[in-house]
Amino acid sequence: MNSFTQWLQATGFSMFIRGSLYAYPVILALHMVAIALFGGMILMTDLRLLGWTAGGLSVSDVVDRLRAPKIAGFIFAATCGLLLLIGNPEKYLANIFFRIKLVLFVLVALHALAFRRGVYRQAAELDTAPRMPARARLAACLSLLLWFSIACAGRGIGYIVYRPD
Amino acid sequence: MPIDNPINAFELAFPIVQCIHVAGFALSAGTVAIVDFRLLGLILPQRTPAQLLRETALWTLSGVILMIVTGLLLFSSDPDMYLLNFSFDLKMILLALAIAFNYTIHRRAVQSSPSPVTGKFVACASLALWISVLFGGIFIGFSPQVLGFKA
Repeated sequence: MNSFTQWLQATGFSMFIRGSLYAYPVILALHMVAIALFGGMILMTDLRLLGWTAGGLSVSDVVDRLRAPKIAGFIFAATCGLLLLIGNPEKYLANIFFRIKLVLFVLVALHALAFRRGVYRQAAELDTAPRMPARARLAACLSLLLWFSIACAGRGIGYIVYRPD
Repeated sequence: MPIDNPINAFELAFPIVQCIHVAGFALSAGTVAIVDFRLLGLILPQRTPAQLLRETALWTLSGVILMIVTGLLLFSSDPDMYLLNFSFDLKMILLALAIAFNYTIHRRAVQSSPSPVTGKFVACASLALWISVLFGGIFIGFSPQVLGFKA
């Protein structure tokens, strides 16, 4: 693993991202664009599951019909994130906030699995429910907490990685 | 008697406020983007853009307020640096344009069931404005004065 990161760090592509005056901030800005565009959909999903929206959107709208665009946004964000990682693999892998962020992504996956049957595969049933069941509201609260933590961890990474000499 | 600005008193205050600033941005630009993606025909064909605007408007406004309040706090940490920062000045102009556009042309176009071409044009302009605000924000931290280079 160590020799792999050393090899990666020495590739021309990695050196380009690290050394160019614009590559890093432009990729970072694109990473943030993905977060803004895709984060809004996650927020609306959670707000809908909490019952804090005007009611014009159904649970099926935000859970089922926004699934594909959310996945597309996530892939876009992850690709930009991967490029940032390639630019400075040794610093990122040693970065405590980077590690916390990876753990948080594992928790996001577990969250999706845990609420899959009760919430995310039951959108049609939730549409007709008189009020949101507790499990749906719990899923939404945890999702908000996890994604906000991921954004904070991401912000933390930059405080350590991008220290100009 | 000078009063210490709390944002400079604790090392963690600035990054924490910045995280909330990002959340405010995701809430404002992210909810506008939902309407814009609908105008572009990319998502939720069974809802009209006007329906999505009604659904998101309050959250967009909350995000804008959160973003401006936290932005002012961040600005107060070092006003001179920000004012002299070209990216910051540009970002403020773009932000004013984005907000003005959102609450005039964008809103009116969405509510009047625009033709597909008009709708797509308005959506692209809106997305371009919000994305450029975000680029301006990122580049504040990468400008020569912040990095300590000799400009």
